[in-house]
Amino acid sequence: MRLEPRSGERIDRSKPVSFSFAGWKVAGFEGDTLGSAAFAAGKRVFSRSFKYHRPRGLLCCSGHCPNCLMTVDGVPNVRVCTEPIREGAVVEGQNVRWSLDFDFMSVTDKVGGPFTPVGFYYRTFIRPRRLWPFYEKFLRSAAGLGELDEHAGYSRRYDTEHRKARVLVVGGGPAGRAAALAAAASGDGVVLVDEDASLNGMQLDGVEVLAPARALGIWEGGLVPVDAGTVLYRFRAARIIVATGAIEQPLVFPGNDLIGVMLPGGVRRLVNDFSIKPGNRAIVVAADDEGFEVADDLSEAGVAVPRVIDLRETRPRELVAQGGKGRVRRLVVDGESFDCDLLVASGGRQPAYSLLAQAGARIEFDSELGVFVPTELPSGVEAVGSVTGDGLGKVDPEPAYGGKGKCFVCVCEDVTTKDMKRAIAEGFDSIELAKRYTTTTMGPCQGKLCHLPSIRLYSKETRVYEAAIGTTTARPPWAPVELGLLAGRELTPARRTSMHWSHAEAGATIQWAGPWKRPYAYGEKPEDEVRAVHESLGVIDVSTLGKLFVEGPEAVALLERLYPNRFGDMKSGRIRYGVLTSDAGRIMDDGTIARLADDLYYVTTTSTGADAVTAWFEWWNAVWGYEAEIVNVTGAIAAVNLAGPQSRDALQRLTEADVSAEAFKYLDAQEIDVAGVPTLALRIGFVGELGYELHFPSPAGEYLWGQLVAEGARPFGLEPQRILRLEKGHVIVGQDTDSESNLYSAGMSWLPKLDKDDFVGKYALEHFAEREEKERLVGFTMEEDVLPAEGAQIVVEGFPAGRVTSARRSEAVGSVIGLAWVPTDRAKNGTRVEIRVDRLLRGARVTHGAFFDSAGQRMRS
Amino acid sequence: MSRAFLSPSRCDAGTLTSPLRRALEGANSAAVRDLSLEGVVEIRGDSDLVEVAEGEDLVRLSPQRGYIFTDGDPADVAERLRAGGVLAYDATGALAGMAIESEQVVRRLTDLDLDELPTSGPFAHVTAIVRRADDGWVEVYVQQEYGHYVAEAVVDALTGLDTSRGLTRGQTPDVSDPDGSPA
Amino acid sequence: MSFLLSCPFCGPRPVDEYAYFGEVTKRPGPSPTLRELTDYVYFRDNVAGVQREWWQHRSGCGEWFLAERDTRTNEVLEVILPEPGRNSPA
Ligand code: FES
Ligand SMILES: [Zn+2]
Repeated sequence: MRLEPRSGERIDRSKPVSFSFAGWKVAGFEGDTLGSAAFAAGKRVFSRSFKYHRPRGLLCCSGHCPNCLMTVDGVPNVRVCTEPIREGAVVEGQNVRWSLDFDFMSVTDKVGGPFTPVGFYYRTFIRPRRLWPFYEKFLRSAAGLGELDEHAGYSRRYDTEHRKARVLVVGGGPAGRAAALAAAASGDGVVLVDEDASLNGMQLDGVEVLAPARALGIWEGGLVPVDAGTVLYRFRAARIIVATGAIEQPLVFPGNDLIGVMLPGGVRRLVNDFSIKPGNRAIVVAADDEGFEVADDLSEAGVAVPRVIDLRETRPRELVAQGGKGRVRRLVVDGESFDCDLLVASGGRQPAYSLLAQAGARIEFDSELGVFVPTELPSGVEAVGSVTGDGLGKVDPEPAYGGKGKCFVCVCEDVTTKDMKRAIAEGFDSIELAKRYTTTTMGPCQGKLCHLPSIRLYSKETRVYEAAIGTTTARPPWAPVELGLLAGRELTPARRTSMHWSHAEAGATIQWAGPWKRPYAYGEKPEDEVRAVHESLGVIDVSTLGKLFVEGPEAVALLERLYPNRFGDMKSGRIRYGVLTSDAGRIMDDGTIARLADDLYYVTTTSTGADAVTAWFEWWNAVWGYEAEIVNVTGAIAAVNLAGPQSRDALQRLTEADVSAEAFKYLDAQEIDVAGVPTLALRIGFVGELGYELHFPSPAGEYLWGQLVAEGARPFGLEPQRILRLEKGHVIVGQDTDSESNLYSAGMSWLPKLDKDDFVGKYALEHFAEREEKERLVGFTMEEDVLPAEGAQIVVEGFPAGRVTSARRSEAVGSVIGLAWVPTDRAKNGTRVEIRVDRLLRGARVTHGAFFDSAGQRMRS
Repeated sequence: MSRAFLSPSRCDAGTLTSPLRRALEGANSAAVRDLSLEGVVEIRGDSDLVEVAEGEDLVRLSPQRGYIFTDGDPADVAERLRAGGVLAYDATGALAGMAIESEQVVRRLTDLDLDELPTSGPFAHVTAIVRRADDGWVEVYVQQEYGHYVAEAVVDALTGLDTSRGLTRGQTPDVSDPDGSPA
Repeated sequence: MSFLLSCPFCGPRPVDEYAYFGEVTKRPGPSPTLRELTDYVYFRDNVAGVQREWWQHRSGCGEWFLAERDTRTNEVLEVILPEPGRNSPA
């Protein structure tokens, strides 16, 4: 089937390449595509159609249609007509039962019945509803494209690369090349992309050529993602020149999907690029000059061309392709029959305007040319060449030729003229609705080959001019793209403290805690770690706490206005608990505020709150303009909580500073040296035992952690910490509170100082102070040893009336304890409530205050 | 109040470790270098008041914010700057830094304009300060808690250069990427 | 959304580098009625047109600023540095 060597051919006959095609070994040459080599080897069936499973062969040979979609080395939906050949590739058919040449499912083409008409599944499969899952499974496998190899995602690598370009030219045809060269004359930064692999290595002075590379869309800000196979280039271009050319349109006539019916451009590629004789006897039917050019090429290649029909001169009423076994055998024109094994048919060329439309250009029907053209381009985007309509002649074929047989408007979705007419008859009288109902233009070609034919047919059937019908919306991507390429490398930012590897090496179970990776516990039993804190000494990494300096002559004024608390009366070296509220009066975050000097405060936030609190403080200060700076030092400072009755002794062994009960009181802050590390020590008690939060330079994290463990401190993780704080009834903002909680309902009515002049949330809190809250956050103790899930229902008289936010089994208390939102009339200490646990209602008693050491003697000792 | 608890340089010798130590263990040091323990000072206030000394480089993010990269003792530098009328904080421990030779690796992780350095912006989805060293390498500084993650991303991108160079669609080599480690 | 927004200090950057903090609102004076308060806290004009709004260059220099943006086209007409005042509206 190969012709004698010809000048201009792209194949290198000295370099044979072989691969497997639907189980057959096929040989081609370097420079071939998988599709051209298979065609040269006599293969004609490349796919089975979407709905009717009709055999399909090469149609456009330029990557636009669905006909050559195959699975290549496990990657589905590869267009083999443009995919470069490679040794050993495994090419397989898709959407087939049995084989490409004999597809069991093609009975749907013969028997028709309920499977075939448009919209059939909307009507047929709605009842009985419970059978839908079965139907869906059947439909999905009966109709469809390739199947994903579920394991391929783990073995294929895709990268993303950010690029910028002064000028980005999309399309490497004559117009695109000329535009690129012109742009390059006035400076560098010119890039040209083209989807055609044969442009790889093309030399253009001062222009970087990327091929095969496909621009997927044009987004705001000149963003153009370019699919280069395994790398997605995210271009930002100051100027974008679209030179995507025009796409040959199929003619709509019965039998127009038979194998051997091809578009002229595809035929010319086979002949000129790959030196293939595409048939023996060809008939050409064309609506523009392309037809004559292809006839010349065919004759030169030794193909007999007994007839060329120029649709501008003759206007046949009937045009029918007939064949056998899915292949074209003859063309019948108004009753006159012409034998052929190749039927080149074209309805003219339509500008490939999709990228321009996405970028915001107007698309209008040009009645002079008979096609849609872009107008009113957005700024920064230009168009050159035939995409603008330049050089196209008037085309005006029949929207659909009469005759017997299936006549396809859209080959991707197997939509026939009959389907379109039926949709219109059923009342889908807008093109956007008809599109969704029939799914025309919604297949893999995304309208490249069916949009214009659909509009033409629509216009004829509804007697509305094309210009008034308009186009359907063009959306990215311009061509199918692998999802893996869009995803790129997995980049999930994880925060790790400077002691992270000490925990990992100690065998801690690491888990995500918001953006952080943190130890859940170090051993199998978190309760052992709890016991160590109660009885002797524990240490936990709390570097995740947000840490802020607020510094400046007006630091105190700023904090007074940000928090409901009071700070002006606080002495240097003292610490206070603070809760931030929004102007809606809702709880946002909490933490401690230590005054380190007159004009310097050290604020801690929750572990997930640091960034939001910093931004919140800065925003308010952008509004108010206090002379104070807010500096987020979360990363600079590592922190541990050394807790337990032995913590004072342990700390004393590591420092020369006096940390005795008299010199270092509860809620004191001191700068001390701990084992050679300058440390800010805060005496606070989140976990309810005597304890110190030590804050020190991050890079000393592993060292100081090691020193503390060597002093006998048992590492404890997040889970034991949750148990310990729950024993104290301490609230975790974001776990026990939500975006509706306020200081009154959460049981912190002592905190807001409403007599302050102003603070964020004051107005709302004034209103809240006067009303009765509907529900309250309270502690509860289970009557039996059962553990409610977080989120479990509080049930009052058979109705859900609240929810559990935290619950744990506490050894120290001897029962299951927790926090829950309950109706206000059930919030009194000792009230019995019921909680749904595993579908049963279990009793619990509301418990105010701490469950353990309620006087707080241990942490103050 | 000395703010010494911000300053690694005030810790005893032998107490410091880099947040990138494990991520860059075994990485090609001819392609990426650890800068994490080099001195940095964060500045707030009128940066016109900042007098830049020998061995220092001022990166201004806005008229009120900037960083000084210094060969000297950052705690001392911070004190000197404070005396000059701005607020200054030792940020040495706050930042993990790495120098990267390949601009292509950098472009795979950030869309920042590398002709407009220094600047700050996203790098591997994390806010970074990016500057160019005298030898042309690109220096990237991120909050130290992200350091390990970012260094892993850089090492991964380096690997990607080798595996994806010169390939076209479909010619993808197998690169196993088991994200099995919970750490 | 991939439009560029110009930080007053860093220049044009992709919009996803910024945190959006909504249209500029007016905080009521002391002791507002419940209606005034809920108006301020919960209600927004949500104009189809040009509005003044708060932005922070969160992934860049970190500074807050104001922008005049056309919500229909995402065209940013102007970026403005806030002029803080003790009683200025939020
Ligand atoms: S024949 Fe390959 S896409 Fe049309
Ligand atoms: Zn900025």
